[in-house]
Amino acid sequence: MAYLARRTGQALIVLAIAFTATFVMLQALPGDAILIRFESPELGLSPEQIADIRAAYGADVPPLQQYLHTLIGFLQGDFGTSVQYGTPVRELIGSALPDTLPLAGLGFLVAVVLAVALAFLSTLAPFGWLRRVLRALPSVFVSVPVFWLGIVLIQVFSFQLRLVPVIGADPVQALILPVLTLAIPISAPLAQILARSIDEVQLSPFVAVVRAKGAGPARVLWRDVARNALLPAITIAGVLIGELIGGAVVTETVFGRAGIGRITEQAVANQDVAVLQAIVILAALVFVLVNLAVDLVYPILDPRLKRKAVAA
Amino acid sequence: MSTPRIRRLALASTAALAATALLASCVGQAAGAGSAAVGDPVEGGTLTYLEHQAHTTLYPPQAGFYPNGGIVNNITARLTWQDPDTLGIEPWVATDWTVNADATEYTFDLRDDVTFSDGTPLDAAAVAKNFDTYGLGNADLGLTISEAINNYASSEVVDPDTVTFRFSAPAPGFLQATSTINSGLLSPKTLDRRLEDFGAGSSTEIVGSGPFVITDEELGTSLHLEAREDYDWAPPSFEHQGRAYLDAIDIVVTPEDSVRIGSLLAGQADVIRYVQAFDEAQVQDAGFEIVAAPTRGVNNSLGLRFTNPLLSDIRVRQALVHGVDAQEVVDTIFTENYPVATSELASSAKGYVDESEGLAFDPELSEDLLDEAGWTVGADGVREKDGQRLSLAVYEAKPQPLSKQTLELASQQLAKIGVELTVKAADSGSYAEDILDPLKTPLYHSMVGRADNDVIKSQYHTKNRNTLRSDDAELDRLLEAVASEPDPAKRDEASAAVQDYLTEQAYVIPLFEEPQVYGAAPYVHGFTTEAVARPHFYDTWLDNQ
Amino acid sequence: MSAPVDIPVRADAAAPPVGIAVLPALDGSVPSTAAAAAAAGPAARAARRLRSVPPGLVLAWLVIAVVIAWALVPWLFTAQDPVSGVPAEKLQGPSLAHLFGTDAIGRDLFTRVVYGAVHSLSGAFVAVTVGLAGGTLLGVLAGSIGGVVDAVVMRLVDVLLAIPGLLLALSIIILLGFGTVNAAIAVGVGSIAAFARVSRSEVVRVRQADFVEAAFGSGGRLSAVLVRHVLPNSLTAVIGLAALQFGAAILAISTLGFLGYGAPPPTPEWGLLIAEGRNYVATSWWLTVLPGLVVVAVVLSANRISQSLGRTR
Repeated sequence: MAYLARRTGQALIVLAIAFTATFVMLQALPGDAILIRFESPELGLSPEQIADIRAAYGADVPPLQQYLHTLIGFLQGDFGTSVQYGTPVRELIGSALPDTLPLAGLGFLVAVVLAVALAFLSTLAPFGWLRRVLRALPSVFVSVPVFWLGIVLIQVFSFQLRLVPVIGADPVQALILPVLTLAIPISAPLAQILARSIDEVQLSPFVAVVRAKGAGPARVLWRDVARNALLPAITIAGVLIGELIGGAVVTETVFGRAGIGRITEQAVANQDVAVLQAIVILAALVFVLVNLAVDLVYPILDPRLKRKAVAA
Repeated sequence: MSTPRIRRLALASTAALAATALLASCVGQAAGAGSAAVGDPVEGGTLTYLEHQAHTTLYPPQAGFYPNGGIVNNITARLTWQDPDTLGIEPWVATDWTVNADATEYTFDLRDDVTFSDGTPLDAAAVAKNFDTYGLGNADLGLTISEAINNYASSEVVDPDTVTFRFSAPAPGFLQATSTINSGLLSPKTLDRRLEDFGAGSSTEIVGSGPFVITDEELGTSLHLEAREDYDWAPPSFEHQGRAYLDAIDIVVTPEDSVRIGSLLAGQADVIRYVQAFDEAQVQDAGFEIVAAPTRGVNNSLGLRFTNPLLSDIRVRQALVHGVDAQEVVDTIFTENYPVATSELASSAKGYVDESEGLAFDPELSEDLLDEAGWTVGADGVREKDGQRLSLAVYEAKPQPLSKQTLELASQQLAKIGVELTVKAADSGSYAEDILDPLKTPLYHSMVGRADNDVIKSQYHTKNRNTLRSDDAELDRLLEAVASEPDPAKRDEASAAVQDYLTEQAYVIPLFEEPQVYGAAPYVHGFTTEAVARPHFYDTWLDNQ
Repeated sequence: MSAPVDIPVRADAAAPPVGIAVLPALDGSVPSTAAAAAAAGPAARAARRLRSVPPGLVLAWLVIAVVIAWALVPWLFTAQDPVSGVPAEKLQGPSLAHLFGTDAIGRDLFTRVVYGAVHSLSGAFVAVTVGLAGGTLLGVLAGSIGGVVDAVVMRLVDVLLAIPGLLLALSIIILLGFGTVNAAIAVGVGSIAAFARVSRSEVVRVRQADFVEAAFGSGGRLSAVLVRHVLPNSLTAVIGLAALQFGAAILAISTLGFLGYGAPPPTPEWGLLIAEGRNYVATSWWLTVLPGLVVVAVVLSANRISQSLGRTR
């Protein structure tokens, strides 16, 4: 219990620093959202009109006051209004989340499945050359830019083979290629770690004994590696959050999906501070929660840790 | 001085220009979809239209941004219709109009059967409210003044079908302004919204008067427009009356060029905007159609900001103008849909005069001019004077097609006469800040489209876009003459005077006449654009059902 | 954004360093030296010794060597101009005159790739250096001093991980201005957290080792022990990560180019070449595919080398 309280305290500190750091960072950027949105020569607004707009968005007061105002708003659940879209941030994020959650969730799931498949096949495949090719595959996966992968997948599967439409697709079809695009690069490091733990298990004396008793390699691997494999997968989950968001930015841009990633990219380009503050808090919250969950789940899965904890 | 009321002022004024415009549009719209439509139009079907960028607002005065304008053009009717070929102004919601001799008072007679999409009538009071908002703005709501409307003073509702507008000074451009998307008629209740309530996310709440209504929006990705069954007030000059042929339009935002093109060719989309020059051949080879519509305004060009000390010497500016080979730019990067500029204005723009002599590519002349101005070639091939290098900078302009390639090529060409042109790229914040400063942005890449003489004032006047960051009072004076001369012939003369002055002062390097390029599937017929190339789906129909 | 950045290590103040070694273990291609030894024919020992080095690794080093040569002396590899081309020869496919074809304004793509090496490599180098220096400093401080410093530093690292990396990178580029080096710094800052975690857990691991305890026991001062014993012994994992980061940085810079935050023209940086060539994927495939293959080769090589570095010891 005390542990949980301490962890929650740490999480709150991380959130507070992330919030403040983002605010400071965005204030330091040249120009601001109102300049970008309203001062372009194309609109031909007079300086007085622009001053009015500035006042309407509360951007005419010193940064410290703006900071406190934003902070108080956040504490009360008011995330402010996007300058670029003129929409409340809550609405903006509310409409983007349902687009990103299935993408990110499925992306992660597919990545794990793909990684497990690769790792096992690269150990069990019949030919040496095949095993070697499969082992090298993750390295190829991580050496291809995500946007490039997305574009090539679209060109091949949608435009050449015409298997899945990109435009006018139903919600399930619309997820297939983006999920793959997101999953493939993420599966690579997972597959590498899994392959390694398979190697370790195979070398362990325990396996030698089991084998001697006549168990096939597949069964041995499956039973012992599956459990061991879960650990790194969960470990990575916490760290992969940021990567999922980064991947989502690119994937959503390529596939024209209006998710959190796309909104993030647009908000940075237009210095839409209110939107970015909300996104950072959201991302930090997810990060903190996932990591907390990982820490709590870990001892249950890893008997070695449990033993250590008992010994201490 | 008798002041007879001039009827159909603009129509008469453009008679002479019509020939030119027709010629130009033959080049520009040669491949216009549906120009050879077979069979009779069919009603029904949903058209999928791929946009390059998400729209930002539906407030008509800010609809100059193409994604905004493409929507506003289809959900609003206007007082008048500008024929995209002749540029003549024709009746639409207004059946007739009168203008006084010095163009300070306009009176419009309105149809009495027009309604907004929420069923409320479009009457004189509603029209008055629209133009009071667009002409004066509404500071409380954050609503801005339309760039197309100058000198607006007040409105008067004469009777339910008649409205009069008064101006503090001659406003000859106003009649044309009533035809532009910036003057799209919205319901009075919609005009009570604040600027941010016109933004993306509230599109379905915008009540217009056009043939389509927005019924669904997915923020940042797609809009669903449905035809209004009761729409029956198309401009009388149209062959087609009544509701639109299409049942619905899906506007889908697809930023990736390759995805837009691929979707069209793979049959997943019907019409796409922003076909890059290098993709045109691909579209045509597949039997699809390219629709290149001219934007009829100030050409895609590089403004030379003469308040920058390096550019204050007219000889240096002249050297730059003669040092850029616009023909090579077009031949290398673009297609025949992008005609080489022959003036600051497009040849299809109103008030155009040919300036090609004063703008000719002549690198030897450039070198002589620079020698004469005291700039000598330094060790690294870049000219120098008093220890200063002749090094200039220009920002890649994201809204211009293939801006980066264009500028890189221009930079290559200028290098040959010993001028260094650095192409800069920046985030939108730094860009927005730096382009206002002639020291940081001595050359500025831009264009603007509008089928009226006023367009040149929009681009160069110190109180408008002021793309040159000018301090030249003479230029302002010449531009004001364009915007306030009531006599059409004299107005064209005033435009010509501005172009002569810009060429003579070497303020601008015009590159090409910028079109909007669309790709359409072979079964799409009757896809047309309004006068400055925004898509107009009223006449469009599909024969693949 | 960059796949392998954050790979494996997860060991912060709260969770004790986890037992399983989740080091940046990499692509498999297990060297089978036994086979080489068995095939000992008349070809002498020299050959055997040579073959005991895995051929994949040799190839990897070869690729890196060629690319470094491109960066240092590009004019030896091509006689053409990377910045200005012949406009009339635009968008030509690969040929003998233009190995990688030409781009939209007639520049030779192979020449641009060769001259781009210096930008991409120095970019990747800067990115890795920033991440390595910043991250290792934080990690070593946290791991060796412990206590409050550890807690504070690791919270900072958490914040770095919690703020979406891409947002951080884009903001830094906007702050510093566009350019390969600035983009590299942005990417490097994003990898500080990963380096900090790896180095911290390594330092903690080494510190608990008997010989370090002994060094302390025999009266060594903290700094001395750190420099003499802890650092050298914890660096291997960190260097493995650095080699891995090298490839990741090239990709990350490419992604920035895709989002419109690449180096200003006419810099022929690889990532930017791929990002901009993508628009031509259906018409002029070479513009994005060939520079892409170069990057794949370099990243694969960097990974392969990273793996071999991770193994020695």
